Amino acid sequence: MAESSPAVRDAIAALLPRLRRFGRTLARHPEDADDLVQIAVEKALTHTEQWRPGTRLDSWIFRIMQNAWIDETRMRERRNQTFVDEEAGENVGINTTDAQIDAIAVRKAVAQLGDDQRVVVGLVLVEGLPYQEAADVLGIPLGTLTSRLARARDALQALLGDTKLGANP
Amino acid sequence: MNLSNETLMAFADGELDPVQRAQVEALLKTDAALRQRIVALQVQRKRLAQAFDPVLDEPVPDRLTRLLQAAPVATPPHPAAAVINLAEVRAQRARQGGMPSWAQWGGMAACVVLGVLLGTHITGQKTDSDLGLHQGELLAGGAIARALTTQLASEPQADASVAVQLSFIDKHDGYCRTFSTTALAGLACQHNGQWVVHQVATVDAPASAVVRQAATALPRSLLDAVDQRIAGTAMDASAERQARDKGWRR
Repeated sequence: MAESSPAVRDAIAALLPRLRRFGRTLARHPEDADDLVQIAVEKALTHTEQWRPGTRLDSWIFRIMQNAWIDETRMRERRNQTFVDEEAGENVGINTTDAQIDAIAVRKAVAQLGDDQRVVVGLVLVEGLPYQEAADVLGIPLGTLTSRLARARDALQALLGDTKLGANP
Repeated sequence: MNLSNETLMAFADGELDPVQRAQVEALLKTDAALRQRIVALQVQRKRLAQAFDPVLDEPVPDRLTRLLQAAPVATPPHPAAAVINLAEVRAQRARQGGMPSWAQWGGMAACVVLGVLLGTHITGQKTDSDLGLHQGELLAGGAIARALTTQLASEPQADASVAVQLSFIDKHDGYCRTFSTTALAGLACQHNGQWVVHQVATVDAPASAVVRQAATALPRSLLDAVDQRIAGTAMDASAERQARDKGWRR
């Protein structure tokens, strides 16, 4: 096991909020998402030598997270899709803003997508990776990434309907 | 020209090459329905981001920050010159809901380091920042790199923004040097033409203080790190000059 340098550790620590955010797009329950981050960070720390120089550290860990999700965590997913319903029931009160209500609706819509689509939504739309970078994370051709993303966006549009942010043409 | 969903999406996401982009733009001028679809895609993207962004503001659970804390060191760092451990800083922030109060300079320096780590990393852009992350290593850049490459510890420059105190050969037979600014002190070693920063510590200097030229003013944690790396003794003036003139190559 290679000793990871303090600089790498610090860089991963600085990425933790984003890793948690990406985890939330893969797993439907926050605890599952944090389990996923934990597994991925542990793997990253013990396999720093696999990190290819010149590539993005975030993308590398996203890939580890995606693989861990498919291989391990998905199997023992905690409370499944019920969480987003609970969240909607518990968190909506008189002080809830329109933005919060919309956020809950969007997260719920994402939770209804399949694994393949959730991960592209997470990488491109939430984490802001360029298409090619996202395709590399997943080890798929650019064309496959693009069509998957287009299908995911169609599905989201069907689930969510049109604009709620008031940005009309 | 019939636009596919995917082309339209790539346009909305700024992913088309200039030629394709110009083609779509030409169509948009006369097609209001197309413009509407583009806007819908962009609004959707914004909604997605906004739905998950609040996660960034949540405190990171201790079980995650703990994974990234450095192994405990044998000698506790000098209180006024704590080694910056970003994981620790973050954990502390999460607990307290604000910046740690242990040191004004520590907090500021941590922000500087964190900022350059995040900045260079997330944008992937080359910057002239004084410290930056590259290939998983913290590298000196800007003024710090220039000082490490050109300044002689044996000839201190009173007006320099970065001071260099010690030059030595480490146990891997490479050149290493200590440096300091008004906020930070560090230990960097030459590797493939780059100065790799192995240790950074805060310095307990007031804001107006000039940078410390003397090695004795370095934080103890940093001197401990020098002790662990050094093979033999620090280089004398002529050895240092020779090394610099040969570009710090062994």
